[in-house]
Parts: sequence; structure tokens; C-alpha cells
Amino acid sequence: MSTSALRFALVGNPNCGKTSLFNHLTGARAKVANYPGVTVERRAGMVTDIDAPVELMDLPGTYSLHVSSLDEKVARDMILGQMAGEAPPDVLVAVVDATNLRLGLRLVLELEQLGRPMMLAINQMDAARRRGIEIDTAGLQEALGIPVIETIALRKPGSAQLRATIAEAAHRFKEQRAKVISDDEAVRKESVEAVYDRIETLLDAHVRMPAEQTNWQDALDRVVMHPVAGLAILFTVLLTIFQAVFAWASPVVDLIDGGFGIMGDLVATYMPDGILKDFVVDGLIAGVGGVLVFLPQIVILFFFILLLEDSGYLTRAAFLLDRPMRGVGLSGRSFIPLLSSFACAVPGIMSTRTVPDPRERMITIMVAPLMTCSARLPVYTLIIAAFIPEEKVLGFFNLQGLTLFGLYLAGIVSAAAAAWVLRLRHIREEFPLLLELPSFRWPSPYHLLIGLRERIWIFLRRVGTVILALSVLLWALASFPAAPVDAVRPAIEYSFAGQLGALMQPLFAPMGFNWQMCVALIPAMAAREVAVSALATVYAVGAASSELALGQALGVSWELPVALAYLAWFVYAPQCLATIAVVRRETNSNTATAFFTVYLFALAYLAAMATYQIASLFL
Amino acid sequence: MSIAQPVAASEECLAQAHLRTLDQCHKGETLCIEALVEQPEFGDGDASVSMRLKELGFLPGARLTILGYGFLGRDPLSVKIAGTKFALRRREASKLLVSTVEASA
Repeated sequence: MSTSALRFALVGNPNCGKTSLFNHLTGARAKVANYPGVTVERRAGMVTDIDAPVELMDLPGTYSLHVSSLDEKVARDMILGQMAGEAPPDVLVAVVDATNLRLGLRLVLELEQLGRPMMLAINQMDAARRRGIEIDTAGLQEALGIPVIETIALRKPGSAQLRATIAEAAHRFKEQRAKVISDDEAVRKESVEAVYDRIETLLDAHVRMPAEQTNWQDALDRVVMHPVAGLAILFTVLLTIFQAVFAWASPVVDLIDGGFGIMGDLVATYMPDGILKDFVVDGLIAGVGGVLVFLPQIVILFFFILLLEDSGYLTRAAFLLDRPMRGVGLSGRSFIPLLSSFACAVPGIMSTRTVPDPRERMITIMVAPLMTCSARLPVYTLIIAAFIPEEKVLGFFNLQGLTLFGLYLAGIVSAAAAAWVLRLRHIREEFPLLLELPSFRWPSPYHLLIGLRERIWIFLRRVGTVILALSVLLWALASFPAAPVDAVRPAIEYSFAGQLGALMQPLFAPMGFNWQMCVALIPAMAAREVAVSALATVYAVGAASSELALGQALGVSWELPVALAYLAWFVYAPQCLATIAVVRRETNSNTATAFFTVYLFALAYLAAMATYQIASLFL
Repeated sequence: MSIAQPVAASEECLAQAHLRTLDQCHKGETLCIEALVEQPEFGDGDASVSMRLKELGFLPGARLTILGYGFLGRDPLSVKIAGTKFALRRREASKLLVSTVEASA
């Protein structure tokens, strides 16, 4: 970012619509940390369509500078300018939810005492008007002595006035650079009671609220938060998501799969025989195509998670599950990080910063990778499609879908068991729950699409970089050295990959893995889904006839118990360096990271071995 | 917690005899917060919990309604206070000393 740009920071309670405003103001061209849902990482972008350079930062939602979680500490450190490597923000853009003014204004009045230049955006004005709330913004502006702007985060014109005010401030404070505020300067000079007294005075003078009445929100809450009905709904929602991931995606998957098949055939027909043709067909197309076909499933999963998060439903789920989760030493607060881990453990582990209890946070980090992440889907779906017949169970459920659900369930149950065991090592100490249940909101298609676009882009970038590179590397390992002229066995067994697999194979013999499976585990350390392209490459190179699709090739060469054992391995194995790296970063402990890695590999080894041995007895 | 015990009948204390902590109240009740009391189970963190409760608007004089409970053991509680809904556990609720608001309002 240019050093001449002024830095503005969006500050506000969780769920006040900051991120939506941020998307509009930066034209959604923000440099966003890689991960979905929660704003735990630095999000920053240049404000578009204004005549001064302004860098806008979207800080994590916070209720107070008196922090109670790591997430809130990030917000506080950023606001004060105490974050290492970050200049303090020159201007604060406080955002409050117009339907929840009291709570929002309390933070605003606390921020006001810091003495930073500030403006106030009253967001969700449309929802407030619908509820009959009238706000005299001119009066509030005069009373607070800072610019007060109405915004509607869901619609783009709803932030036009805020953009104009930001531009104005950018000119006014052009020569001014913010200073770091020390802890001593940030100490409160006013009690909470006194602040609320001031808020009541402000609200009496400038806001008219209709008498509180029950509305559709309350009616909806009575159902979705009902101890029994609500839990049934939650279970149905989750089951629907997993069914959708499998069922809805398959037409698109077939389309992509078919496309790569045709592409491979075309290249095979028109390119001259030789090493280059092998490279393009068996290395590039088989490797990249093998992973790209799973994009639809990943998109569907992220779509549902974003939808549930934006609508406000997720905190209800956290509420319902708080007590059961405490049984294993977690709490409702861990639910959202764990659910995010179904998409990817990396953002899941990062979002544990919202968990106030350090002990619970550590346990959540340790078990988060047991939630089946989307990178495991390619592996699961490949093997399920190859080995589990496509049958209906009870006339409705698809047997393949049920198997997938079973794998998810295995991860969840194991996570619960692991959390319970880990809890035994700690003395119990109580932390409060205190969770705001935000109003239900219709998720905006615009912001959903932006969120999805980010996910798709990250996935494609990975396919284009890491996965492409590994496919090429693996192809090379599988192709060289070439087999001797008088070779009797398939050429790949003479290659480096073949030798490496043969070296690893004895270690994995108790679970029945063949050397191809062992080879695929190595690049899968970079990303689990690469196991699929690795298998595709290994089997494409080794196949007598390249017409055999990968699934069929596996169906022919693997026994069912081995396939199940491979699935079991992937349920547990910390097969992804990114996850291990993020555990190191978030725990800041080598011991914890080593424990994490060893315990998950040990579980994977035992589970795969047990699966193979037991399944071999019956099948 | 001693303040929650029934006390002798001076005129002021008569009112206090009706005080309960929020975790002793029932679904659907509307209550007025009278005071925040210590909860020893939070140990050293008790002051922080009180602070956070107050920041979120759980202040003496505020009215709240109990909306319902979680899945097991009537825990956590969901409440509505000044139009905002919160979930809190019984342990947090036991820090809030409340009086009954007559249904006439």
C-alpha cells in the first residue's frame, strides 16, 4: 500500500454489517486473508471512487476495548496502534446497527475518549425504519460532535454518503498522522453506568423507538431455539448440506470430468507421441483435472456455511449445542470454529480466537482438523464413487451420501472423544458464555457471491500453483528413470515414485496399502486433495489402457477393506502442512504443535489398521 | 450471594425478600435487574465477567425477559434485554439479582 494513503479503520460490534460496508467501499477488491466467514485476519483495501488515497481496514467485531478474547484483542491493538508492524489508524469509522443502538453506542462513546478522529455510520437503517425506529442523525451529529451518516449495507447506494464523508475526512486530515495510544492513555475515565446514562440521554433526545412488540423474529426463534425442535432442525440442516454436497454437485462434476476427458483425448490424438505428450496428458491434464472436478462440491459447502453465518442462524446453533459441548470440555463458542473447519481447518483454527477460554481454545485447535474439511471431499468422493454402490436406502437416502455422512460423523465423534480426553489434563475453570444472538437477516446475494468468489479464487489459485507444481513433480517422479528395455513389470515400478512407494510400503502393510497409495500420501501433505491427482498420475502412467477412468482403475486394483482403510487414514491424518503451520502460529508452542502432529498420525495409523483388519474378517 | 437470602423485615428489606437471581427465574418472566453480585466460581475472573455483563447492558434498572433454554439442563438461557437477545449460562445468570416486574406494563 502506498505510504501516502490515510488509514481508516472500520470498528463496531460483531454483526453490525461492517464487512458489507467494507465490500461496498472497497469495491470488493480487498486484499482479504484467505479464509471465510469470520473477520479474524487483516482485511484491507483502498476505498474506490474517491479523490484521495484511503486505505480501509475491516477490524474484527468487538464489544469493548476491555477485551475478553484474542479476536477482540486484535481489534483493540489495531485501534490503539499497538499491533506490531501496523501503523495506527488515522481515522476511525465506527459502525453501529440502527436496530441495536444502545450496545453500539456504548462502544462508540468508549472510542470517543481515545481522541482519534472518528465518524459514525448508523447501519441497517432500512431494517430500523421497517421497525418504526426514527433516528435524528443531525441531532446525534451535533450531540456527539462527529459526522454521523446513515447507511444501508445491503445496497450499494446505501454507502454513498459514507464514502463522501470519508473523502472529506481524508482531505481534512491529510497532513495529520495518528500516534500510538498507550495503555495508560486508553484507561477508562468513565464508569459503564455513566456511559449508559449518557446513552439514555442521547436516545431520549434523538431517537424514537416504538413500544417493543413480538415480531416474526421472535416467532422464528421460538422454533429454531427450541431444545427439541431446534435440535431436530439443526440436524436436518446439516444433513441437507451434506446430501447437497454430494447430489447437487454431481452433474457439474460429470461435466468438468467429461471436459477434461475430451481435452485429454484431443491432445492424445493430435500431439506427436513422445515425452511432451505424456507430460501434457498424464501430468498436466490428469493431475489438475483430477482436483478441479471437486470445485462444485467445495463451492456448495462454502455457500451453505456463508449462508448460515450471514443469516444469524449459526449463533442459535451455538446456543443449542453449548450444554452438550460442555460435556466434552468445549462450549457453544467452539461450534462456529468447528463448523468452519468442515470447509477448511485453517480458517477454523484461526477463528478459535473468538473463544475466550484459553484452555477451551487449545482443545478446539487440537480437534478442529478432525472435522472433515473440503480438501478431503475429493478423496472421499473418489473412493466412495468407486466402491460404494449407488443405491437408495429407505427410498430417500442415497447410500453413497450416507457413507459420506458416516465419514463426517466419524470425524465428529472422534473429535468429541479427543476433546474429552484432552480436558482431563486440565483443571476446570469457568469462563462465561455471554453470546449475542443477532437478528435474523436475509443474506444478501451480493455479499454471498463475494464470499464465494473469494473461496473459488483461492481454490483455483491453488490448483494453478501448488497442485500444478506437485502434479508435474509427481509425473516426473513417476516417469523417470524409464523402465529398462527388457522390463517385465509396468514401467512405473522402475521409477523414483515406484521406488519411494516400495520403501514406504512395509510401514503401511498392516493396513493393506499398496505402494501407489503410499506414493500418493507424500504430495497429499501439501494438500489432501492432491492425493487424488497423485493417484490419477500414478495410475495413468501405470495403466495399460488410459481409457480406464481413475475410479474404475481403483475399483479393479484395490480390495474393499483397503479402500475403507484409506478412508479411515484420511479421517484422522494431519495431512496438510498448512494446518500444522497454522497450529504452530496460533498456539505459539512447539510442544503443542508436535503433540498435535503425532497424536493425529498415531490415530490415523491405528484407525486405518483396525479398519483393514476388521473389514478383512467380514468382507 | 448472601444478599439473595431472605432477610429480616425492615421496610426496605421487604422488597429485597422478593429478590432472586436470574437462574432461579422461569421462562417467560420479565424481570428488573437490581444488582450484580459476586459468583465465586469465576474466581479471579469475576470482576471481568461483571464488567462484560454491564457493558452488554446488564445494568441495575434494565429489564429483561427470559425467552427459553438450551438443549439440556435448562442451560444456557436466552434473554431479551433492551431489544437485544443474548445467550448466557446459569452461572452468569446467578450473578444477576432481579426483581419481578408486574405484568401490568
